[in-house]
Amino acid sequence: MIRVEGLSAALPQGQALRDVSLSVARGERLGLVGESGSGKSMLGLALMGMVPDAAQLSGRIALDGQDMTGATEAAWQPLRARKVAMIFQEPMTALDPLVRIGETVMEPLILHLKMRRRDARARALDLLAETGLTEPEAKMRQYPHQLSGGQRQRVLIALALACDPGVLIADEPTTALDAQIALRITDLLVRLSRDRGMALIFISHDLAAVARATERLAVMYGGDLVETGATAEVLANPRHPYTQGLIAARPRPDPAMIRKRLPVIPGTVPTLGDLPRGCRFAGRCAAELPRCAGTRPAPWPTASGQAACHLLEPAP
Amino acid sequence: MTRFLIRRAAGFVLTLLAVSVVVFAVMSMLPGDPALSILGIEASPEALAAMRSQLGLDAPAPARYAAWALGALKGDFGTSYAFRVPVGGLIAERLPLTLSLALGAMAVTLVLAPGLGMAAAARHGGPGDWAVMVLSQIGIAVPAFWMSILLILLFAVRLGWLPSGGFPGWDQPLAALRALVLPVIALALVQSAVLARVTRSAALEVMRLDFVRTARATGLPRRRILWRHVLPNALIPIVTIIGMQFAAIVTGTVVIESVFSLPGLGRLLLQSIANRDLITVQALVLLFAAIVVTANFLVDLAYVAIDPRLTGRQS
Amino acid sequence: MRHRASLILGAVLVGLMAAAGLVSLAWTPWPLAEIDVLNKLAAPSAAHPLGTDGLGRDLLSRLMAGAANSLSVAAGAVLLGGGIGTGLGLLASAWGGRVEEALMRLCDLSFAFPALLFAIMLAAAFGPSLLNTGLAIAFINVPIFARVARGAANQVWVRDFVLAGRAAGRGRAAISRDHIVPNIAAPLIVQATIEIATAILAEAALSYLGLGAQPPAASWGRMLAEAQTLLWVAPMQAVWPGLCITAAVLGFGLLGDGLRDWADPRLVRRQA
Ligand SMILES: Nc1ncnc2c1ncn2[C@@H]1O[C@H](COP(=O)(O)OP(=O)(O)O)[C@@H](O)[C@H]1O
Ligand SMILES: [Mg+2]
Repeated sequence: MIRVEGLSAALPQGQALRDVSLSVARGERLGLVGESGSGKSMLGLALMGMVPDAAQLSGRIALDGQDMTGATEAAWQPLRARKVAMIFQEPMTALDPLVRIGETVMEPLILHLKMRRRDARARALDLLAETGLTEPEAKMRQYPHQLSGGQRQRVLIALALACDPGVLIADEPTTALDAQIALRITDLLVRLSRDRGMALIFISHDLAAVARATERLAVMYGGDLVETGATAEVLANPRHPYTQGLIAARPRPDPAMIRKRLPVIPGTVPTLGDLPRGCRFAGRCAAELPRCAGTRPAPWPTASGQAACHLLEPAP
Repeated sequence: MTRFLIRRAAGFVLTLLAVSVVVFAVMSMLPGDPALSILGIEASPEALAAMRSQLGLDAPAPARYAAWALGALKGDFGTSYAFRVPVGGLIAERLPLTLSLALGAMAVTLVLAPGLGMAAAARHGGPGDWAVMVLSQIGIAVPAFWMSILLILLFAVRLGWLPSGGFPGWDQPLAALRALVLPVIALALVQSAVLARVTRSAALEVMRLDFVRTARATGLPRRRILWRHVLPNALIPIVTIIGMQFAAIVTGTVVIESVFSLPGLGRLLLQSIANRDLITVQALVLLFAAIVVTANFLVDLAYVAIDPRLTGRQS
Repeated sequence: MRHRASLILGAVLVGLMAAAGLVSLAWTPWPLAEIDVLNKLAAPSAAHPLGTDGLGRDLLSRLMAGAANSLSVAAGAVLLGGGIGTGLGLLASAWGGRVEEALMRLCDLSFAFPALLFAIMLAAAFGPSLLNTGLAIAFINVPIFARVARGAANQVWVRDFVLAGRAAGRGRAAISRDHIVPNIAAPLIVQATIEIATAILAEAALSYLGLGAQPPAASWGRMLAEAQTLLWVAPMQAVWPGLCITAAVLGFGLLGDGLRDWADPRLVRRQA
């Protein structure tokens, strides 16, 4: 469905993505984890052709076999919602406050699928019902401010599903919601992905949610993809010190608390301009070797994927 | 919603009332004796006293205010000291001209400015944006009466296409319209500069909001995002400014009517001031202030129409 | 970047106008009132760089004197009205409660009177003169500054060092003087700069209407009114004074914008 090769995003202050290669198969559910500022959102936006103007992209992006490398805004626009859709972290502000829920969901149906208003209305109602929104009929006539955060996130999911995209990118869809609602939204996304055979890229820094929702996991740090593999495998047997740190830092005792706290790894995430040239994790890594800061580690195969760390280098 | 409306309507009425008191009080404090200006300085003290009582000037101030305010409610603003005719008639005769000027200028502004402002916002940082910003910055600094003179220089003196001033009367509709073109444009250009800037900055504010990103992620074309989602959300500040602009245009007519020698309310105001015709001045100032207060009230109503969040608190 | 340009261009324009006005107080190319009917409406020449007006007076000299009148009236009026308004705003903020409520209601009410209309009324009431025009403009500025000062002061009153002062038993007047005023100076200076631009426009309009400067005083607005009668014979007479007004208003407007962004960089970043 999606294939990314050597994707980099250069911002004036540094590289937000460095040489990221990744692919997502049809119907596959991929988790994308990493601390704040790792470049997860930047990668998601790159797959929508929506990186900030300041970011210079290089590398290849292919969507459903179509090469989108260097595509213009005009080339991306018709693919959005139809091939890739994206939902964002903050549901409270992600809906136009002046437009009724029904109109919002109908807009892409009328515009992209050329539906007549009546058909679009019926379809929007189905979509809202599919996302588990209660009393969808009444909600169609309401404005965003009349809905709760969880309800709005369901509306946004319905909106993203409107044109039946092959991939849904969910960028921390539950971070702004309270624990119970978050769990339901996560399960909803999994169900929709299964029912529709839709690939899901689930961005999160909540390892428990990722474990629950995804089959494959990609770990990012400082714009690098540091480790990939089967979700269960990576969580049980992390090979990259950064992944190990993420897992260790996650509060275990009270499952309800997991979501509440961000993972804490010693040291602070450096700003883009201050990242080491070699392994981005050098400087914070407990197992750092002398060459780590200067030489970039190559990705080495692991049980179910790859990890980019000098420690994994086969002894000569 | 009804509570909001009732509160605003009550505020509207109270403001009008307060405005009428202030206008009356200021006018009463002004130096000058109407009886003296009517009869001239050679009049005998007896004649002056008689004239004062005929004008109702010997009553205590509250009584005079009550009489005047009640009359004004019925459209009776008293008799002009200078013209010796009902003030209401003087006003009614000139109101259409001033209203045409003001509404015409407002309409031209609304046609020109929002489009320019949105175009600039859509090209944020580009040469088009820059051009709109520079032009509007200069436009704001140009006094409307100098703009008028420049327009007269170009279109009346140089090209001879339009009259340089004067008003032929409404019984010659085409000529009347031609006489209004330059004054309307002069008023509208300056206000358009203001409104284009406000539209641009309001749109830029909105364009940073999350729902614009959602609209983009939904694959909506840029134009549609701008007009269907950005503009409506930018309307609150825009409408606020439009209300203030209408007030500015209405007062602007006072100067512009003078530039183009148009017999409207503004000219009447200046004449009445020159004539010390206080009762007419009083009525005109009240009328101008009432127009401003009404414009602000309409802006409040527009808020309710624009933003559903103001109409109910169901959430 | 753009804001830096605003600041510089604004300062240059204001500086030019102020310099022309200041110089005119001591020296003008020709005596201001020297009438030379034989040489009226003369074309620009070495002797009269911009030519002469309908009475043969040197146009450049009169424009310079106009700068002095216009700027001094505008700045004086804003200082006077702004000073009184700031005092009232500080009072409202320091006292709070009924006093504040009443003062702010009065301000609201004053905004129902279009400023120019009010100035026309006052100028007419006290007789047409440049001084009365200035007083009228000062009057208009009172509620504007009262509102700005009160809003800014209210934000300072809740800050720690002010609360500490209160706890230490210092009086409201002393706190206002020592802590509030220095902390609200920036927005007031920005507002004053912008209001001077508005005041220049108002003075020009009133003088144009004959309610401001009286002959033979030189005033840009007045010069435009005189030039309008000569449009067919001497169009340039109506261009120079208008350009001066526009340049002065533009200068103060740009300066105000630039100062605001300089004083509050947060706003710049938000717009970028
Ligand atoms: N519009 C932008 N302008 C400048 N820097 C940005 C912008 N968006 C993101 N960045 C930078 O790019 C890096 C990656 O950010 P992001 O992808 O949002 O991280 P994540 O989603 O993993 O928290 C961060 O260092 C962030 O500061
Ligand atoms: Mg993010």
